[in-house]
Amino acid sequence: MGRQETFSSAPSLAKVFVRAAVAGKKSGSTLPTSELVLAGHAVDRAHLMDYQRLCGFGVDDVLPHTYPHILGFPLQAELMARKAFPLPLVGLVHVENTITVRRTLTADDVLDVAVHAEALREHPKGRQVDLVTEVTVAGESVWSGRSTYLARGRGNPDAERGAEPPAIPTGVAAAQWSLPGDLGRQYAAVSGDVNPIHLHALTAKAMGFPKAIAHGMWTSARVLAALGRSVNGPSTSHVWFKKPVLLPGRVDLVVDRTQSPVVAGLRATRRPETEHLVLTLDTRA
Amino acid sequence: MTPTSPRRAAILGGNRIPFARQFGPYANASNQDMFTAALEGLVARHGLGGERLGEVVGGAVIKHSRDFNLTREAVLGSSLAPETTAYDVQQACGTGLENALLVSNKIKLGQIESGIAGGVDTASDAPIMVTEKLRRKLLRINRSKTTVDMAKSALRIRPGDFGIETPANTEPRTGLSMGEHMAITAKKWGITREAQDELAALSHQNLAAAYERGFFDDLMTSYLGLAKDQNLRADSTVEKLAKLKPVFGKGEGATMTAGNSTPLTDGASAVLLGSEEWAAEHNLPVQAWLVDGEVAAVDYVHGDEGLLMAPAYAVPRLLARQGLSLQDFDYYEIHEAFASTVLSTMKAWEDEDFCRDRLGLEKPLGSIDRSKLNVNGSSLAAGHPFAATGGRIVASLAKMLHEKGPGSRGLISICAAGGQGVVAILEGA
Repeated sequence: MGRQETFSSAPSLAKVFVRAAVAGKKSGSTLPTSELVLAGHAVDRAHLMDYQRLCGFGVDDVLPHTYPHILGFPLQAELMARKAFPLPLVGLVHVENTITVRRTLTADDVLDVAVHAEALREHPKGRQVDLVTEVTVAGESVWSGRSTYLARGRGNPDAERGAEPPAIPTGVAAAQWSLPGDLGRQYAAVSGDVNPIHLHALTAKAMGFPKAIAHGMWTSARVLAALGRSVNGPSTSHVWFKKPVLLPGRVDLVVDRTQSPVVAGLRATRRPETEHLVLTLDTRA
Repeated sequence: MTPTSPRRAAILGGNRIPFARQFGPYANASNQDMFTAALEGLVARHGLGGERLGEVVGGAVIKHSRDFNLTREAVLGSSLAPETTAYDVQQACGTGLENALLVSNKIKLGQIESGIAGGVDTASDAPIMVTEKLRRKLLRINRSKTTVDMAKSALRIRPGDFGIETPANTEPRTGLSMGEHMAITAKKWGITREAQDELAALSHQNLAAAYERGFFDDLMTSYLGLAKDQNLRADSTVEKLAKLKPVFGKGEGATMTAGNSTPLTDGASAVLLGSEEWAAEHNLPVQAWLVDGEVAAVDYVHGDEGLLMAPAYAVPRLLARQGLSLQDFDYYEIHEAFASTVLSTMKAWEDEDFCRDRLGLEKPLGSIDRSKLNVNGSSLAAGHPFAATGGRIVASLAKMLHEKGPGSRGLISICAAGGQGVVAILEGA
């Protein structure tokens, strides 16, 4: 690991996105070696409550499985917006995310959140990179996340694709959710992720989407919340993002608990063949 | 006559979240959030994750209509097995204790082996209602079949129809608030301001001392940053309380202040009960036995009796059934809706005329030893989220009786809106 840069508060994502939008062309095949650290982060309970409500977690003192991700995400974006980062931030597609919770975290834990990039690699559809988030409490490793992003471009058809996702469960929906048109704006307000593709149909159209799309990490968090409290204890999740969820929209949650780890997915209610995400959850720690 | 019960119902533990003042740290927490938190703390402490319990009985006095299955939803949001059944009960401030009686009765009958009884209330996250006129007109619009109908119905709405209402602490039949009702009773029994302030100060001092010696360490889980009842004022004194202006009752004789009345609060509590066998199988020591309970109601509407006097009637009936006297107890837990409620109730039991004419007793029930009353504080200090109070008292008293030893006895008395009262007897194990 290279240089460590410590932040006392998270970088503003709006500024990061603007900087990225006006940044010139990026190239290269090496990653910045810096590790960006948000040190001594005390959980803001009002923020935690907003996140818990929006994603369907219970409102209490336990940090949801996915909560540390939104603390690390501004650091991820900051790193990816930099000149030294070889892929353009705008246009990166979040394709996979794994999270390991080593112990139940509470609002009283003071978190050190460290982010670095690794594993820049070729992919049949372009290039992929992993942004790794490590969370420690007083030096104890408590939470890890790995976000895989794809920069579409000239790919290498022979390149490794990575682990294949399991098939999305079939059968009747365990739940059906109506997602409001302003869901992207609501999640942006909580997560700070103000990527225009999530905010409004017009801004999404400018970016090549027919409508605003839901944040992948909201859909993933919402599915995990629906799987019960155990997700917030020691556990590992792996989500593969497939087709974006257009807003407003209606989605079906499908769950297969007969498999181990548990498999869950989200598909479009009107067109069940449209698969939005599939994830595995292992709580056998 | 003591009814023979096939088996006993054990109280195995309890958990609550600290009670918060209205619009305090729990201002944005819902009943479901709070009850789930209290339930989950109980589940975690007793290792009940994944367990199918006989039932969970909860409820709230002030409830959104969308929360029709409040307790069931809380169970589904907890670590209990989703196959655990649940239902809601609403008996005003008696809800929590009534729920403990319901669970214990099923255990005694052998219908269930285990269960959780509790309750929750929020005075902050209250449902908002529109005026009754507007509500009827909106319903009419909602059922109109054509746009023209809809427009016609909409035109019937008048500016004066607008307005929002929140549930009020008022008796529907009398239009009087609970405090105003209590002020009438307090005056009738000649309860002095000084006596009320003394009781209130003692409640705060007792609760503070209980925290000090760690009494609540295994009865509470912190929630949203609150680790202690927010209403508690450890430095409360009679002198300080004497400075407050009366808020209930009128004129010279008014004695009830914000200090000797319970404040509006948010909170939740839950108590674990089980059969002796189930407790042994789960290695859970029995704290106390829920021996028996009684509920009484009084006619407060026509002025015959005070709104909060029903426990004065329930207790003698329960004592008679159990063959006990009022003095046969190590602890008394008389819910402090108002300091004057406790004092009026005790005065009634000492009063020859009341005991003869109202209770039909040959002699008064007599006095109780004040040193055994609310020894770890009560609602004046802790606060009183209506349906959560029963669970708070049952869990605390069970622990006190367990510490006192087998055979020790405790009496619980809780008054409730609607002129009802729920009382119960616990025995230490």
